[in-house]
Amino acid sequence: MSLFKEIEQKPLEYLILLFIFIGAVIAYLTFGFDRQEQRWVIYATCGAYFLWMLYHHHHRGDLHLSIIIEYLAFILLAIIITASTLL
Amino acid sequence: MKHLWHLLFVPHERNNYRASIIQTPFIALFIALYLLNQSFIKSLSIIRPGILGYSSEITAQKVYDQTNQKRQSAGLPPLHFNNVLSQSAAAKARDMFANNYWAHNSPQGKSPWDFFKSAGYQYSIAGENLAKDFYDTDSMMNAWMNSPTHKANIINNQYQEIGIGVVNGILNGVKTTLVVQHFGTPLNVAEVKVNTPEEKSYLEDTQVLSDANYQSSPTISPLQISRSVGAAMFIIIIGVLLVDGYLTLKNRNQRLAGSSAGHVGFLVIILFLLFFTGQGSIF
Repeated sequence: MSLFKEIEQKPLEYLILLFIFIGAVIAYLTFGFDRQEQRWVIYATCGAYFLWMLYHHHHRGDLHLSIIIEYLAFILLAIIITASTLL
Repeated sequence: MKHLWHLLFVPHERNNYRASIIQTPFIALFIALYLLNQSFIKSLSIIRPGILGYSSEITAQKVYDQTNQKRQSAGLPPLHFNNVLSQSAAAKARDMFANNYWAHNSPQGKSPWDFFKSAGYQYSIAGENLAKDFYDTDSMMNAWMNSPTHKANIINNQYQEIGIGVVNGILNGVKTTLVVQHFGTPLNVAEVKVNTPEEKSYLEDTQVLSDANYQSSPTISPLQISRSVGAAMFIIIIGVLLVDGYLTLKNRNQRLAGSSAGHVGFLVIILFLLFFTGQGSIF
């Protein structure tokens, strides 16, 4: 499957992404009592994902504006949906 | 219809070898649809207050019992139930409904201590815990115990008495149950009394007071609507990303696009966080 092929080609980059995601889950569950802290965990995860994208696509040599906009759209969708459920 | 389906969900030359659903314009459309849904929920709560809401099975008796269980687990003596403190707690909850706020201090500048004094409770030390939108007592107590400041009230060895207000009403157009815990130690320690059967019955009789506009009926949770719509969007996008990734490899297509593996991982994590967002909120 293409997803696994992508990961096989750049294992270290995807390992970094995995650490980002594991860190997000741990932090989110740790701050389970505080909605404001949970919001910051989501913003930090989105920020880290964006930075990872810059590194990953720069390394791949295809860091174009259309790709940056694509990631921003995914990140914005995630922020809007999660923030609205953390009232 | 088949062409449209193909265009939306299957990568081929007409959609530049990337399913349209996961292209930026469609993600923007998902954002717009979600915001429209949120606007509809907000409008409904303004136009028809009480249509949406959070049901609750919380009672003052359960809150009282569980608070003392937590104290006993921490090696502390149980708190005595105090009618005056319960009146103070219920008055605070009714004030939040009447003035449409969710905070320790009211927009009119009333602090929690004003409610203690209005009820006629003279304290040497006092505290307040607030909770709303919880369905069950266990989840609410867990939320309080996971918060260092709320936990500090529950297992404070300086408190000797407690009053609990569990009040139903409409807050910001949404039906909900507000739970207020008022902790205190009277100025004159000799006033501390142990529970009597009369006090117990008061606790049971006043466990749920009602706002004048509140009518009990099945409620639709706005949070559940938002979560379900958000989760459905994520699941559709994740599914299409997986199919898109598989077909792209199978057909050996080359294209300029973001990492499907990255997007799937990101959306799965956000979906996980969405499901692990607990019910209700505390203050």
